[in-house]
Amino acid sequence: MSNKRKRYDFIMKTITYVASSVAIIILFMIVFFVVRNGTNLLSFDLLTSDYHSHVYNGGIDPVTDFSQTSKPDHLTDEDYYSQKWGIALSDGEGKQGEERVIVSFVAEDSPLNHMVNRNDSNDEDFQIKEGYIIQMIKFEGRQSALEIYGAQYMINSLEEVDTFRELVFAEVGGGIRGSLLTTLYTIGLTLIVALPVGIFTAIYFNEFANKNKFTQFMRTLIDTLTGVPSIIFGLMGLAVFVPLTVRYTPATSGNILSGSLTLAVILLPVIIKSTEESLKVVPDDFRQASLALGANHTQTTFKVVLPSALPGILTATLLSIGRIIGESAALIFAVGTAIKDDISIFGKSTTLSVHIWSLLTDEPANIPLATTIALIILMVVLGLNLLVKLLSIKFMKKFS
Amino acid sequence: MSQDVFKIQGLNLWYDDFQALKGIDMFIKQNEVTALIGPSGCGKSTFLRCLNRMNDLIDDVKIDGQVVYHNQHIYQKNYDVINLRTKVGMVFQKPNPFPMSIYDNVAYGPRCQGLKNKEQLNEIVESSLKKAALWKEVKDRLKESAMELSGGQQQRLCIARAIAMEPEVILMDEPTSALDPIATLKIEELINDLKENYAIVIVTHSMQQAARISDKTAFFLMGELIEFGDTDFIFSTPKHEQTENYITGRFG
Repeated sequence: MSNKRKRYDFIMKTITYVASSVAIIILFMIVFFVVRNGTNLLSFDLLTSDYHSHVYNGGIDPVTDFSQTSKPDHLTDEDYYSQKWGIALSDGEGKQGEERVIVSFVAEDSPLNHMVNRNDSNDEDFQIKEGYIIQMIKFEGRQSALEIYGAQYMINSLEEVDTFRELVFAEVGGGIRGSLLTTLYTIGLTLIVALPVGIFTAIYFNEFANKNKFTQFMRTLIDTLTGVPSIIFGLMGLAVFVPLTVRYTPATSGNILSGSLTLAVILLPVIIKSTEESLKVVPDDFRQASLALGANHTQTTFKVVLPSALPGILTATLLSIGRIIGESAALIFAVGTAIKDDISIFGKSTTLSVHIWSLLTDEPANIPLATTIALIILMVVLGLNLLVKLLSIKFMKKFS
Repeated sequence: MSQDVFKIQGLNLWYDDFQALKGIDMFIKQNEVTALIGPSGCGKSTFLRCLNRMNDLIDDVKIDGQVVYHNQHIYQKNYDVINLRTKVGMVFQKPNPFPMSIYDNVAYGPRCQGLKNKEQLNEIVESSLKKAALWKEVKDRLKESAMELSGGQQQRLCIARAIAMEPEVILMDEPTSALDPIATLKIEELINDLKENYAIVIVTHSMQQAARISDKTAFFLMGELIEFGDTDFIFSTPKHEQTENYITGRFG
């Protein structure tokens, strides 16, 4: 008997240990993968710069005096230098890990400082600078030097000619500022809509509604909505909110507002449910004490019950933000997939998650950048988590 | 003789099908402590909650009979329950201060009645805490959370919170059952002081407490009021055998 029981205990214990180890290992592996592959491209530049690079097409008048500057000392063997043109180029990587020819030095007396803008002669930003990329140099009567041939080939070609037809250069694009901003806007707008509606609905159900069959039915309905796949809400967003916003705002297609409204609908059941849970655990003692002091029902609810439920509501908010950041299916329809740099509430753009989706559906899929964005999302969620923990600790200190 | 604050006649109360109170006749006098004693489930707490209509909060409660407070039947239609509760304060079994500062706890009731004047509020808070014998201990930390006080202090804070409404009657539902003997003693002393100004109705499980602090005692059993009279009489020469059995500890 005792042996049998020992064996039983041992088996149950082993199962518990194995199950928890598997879970932890899997989670850890995901984090490890994202951190390892995502950190390469992670930089402050990536977060703050535009996705689309401004491309300039420069032409040149017949050159009379070439540069006299010799190769500066700080340049290495990796930098190919043309003394004639006063420019050094090197092979490098763009923000998304693609191969680029990068300008590493431009001499002060370089003839390239006097190029003519072929697109817009009034553009004051037209100037080749260190850190820019050169996409192509077109020559008269010989093969163009393309980016893919590398920096050395470009320099060699330049050395051999006295003029060229066109030099295509650009700022390094590929930043995710637009998607990051869209995500932040979406979080803000969604919470502004969903939190008040959700919290007040929960208050109604928990504090005011009569406990009858109808409210019971409504609750069941809300519970069911929690489990509905978000793509269905996306469909609703496309069918309802996109036309609505197109009609009443300057928007012409899916936009941040319609996306936020869609997300707000997705989040409502979650917020209602978790707020209700936190209202339920507020001790009845508080309600009774308040009522016994001559407070009415509304005062009791908003002065005593709601503040006591605040930590729970904060947690609900955090979960909501996580959901907003993570949602992609619904937003593909409701906001769109266009990666934009100029973000407007009524314009189409894309959130970080949908950005990942776009990168992975590209041909070929850009996995390094997708991982980096995943890492950024992870860090944002982690940061929010810590913030909410901090807030609720502070709150607890004050009130309990 | 002092005046009757409450007059209760033929009070019956049902929870769904279960009759919890059966034809209670009683009165509560000003400046007296009335103790309600009896075994668990005898209806004494239910009776207490009838006096400020806290039973309204429970579903499926049916009440008939009369509870008259200053010549007004409190269960009549359109009776102002909020006003009643400002006049009949209540202290609960478990200390239940709100999760706010000590100051806000005491100021809660007056604020709910719309009082905003800071000086008046300060005055009320100070005098209420003084009356509840808590002022000395907390005057330097009024802004701190009430949850940091000890159990006994919390209960006195709850009393102060009730006093802040300037009620006539204070109902106490086993106010010391969750407290240690020293805190209990303090509350009992406080009750003794408070009866100068208020009528106090206290539910207690402790015979000694009832004997120590009350002027009148009511003994409840199975929803009936078995005996009601001066505490001295009840404890020395009870008329009913059941009362005697209970107070001498033979059952209950």
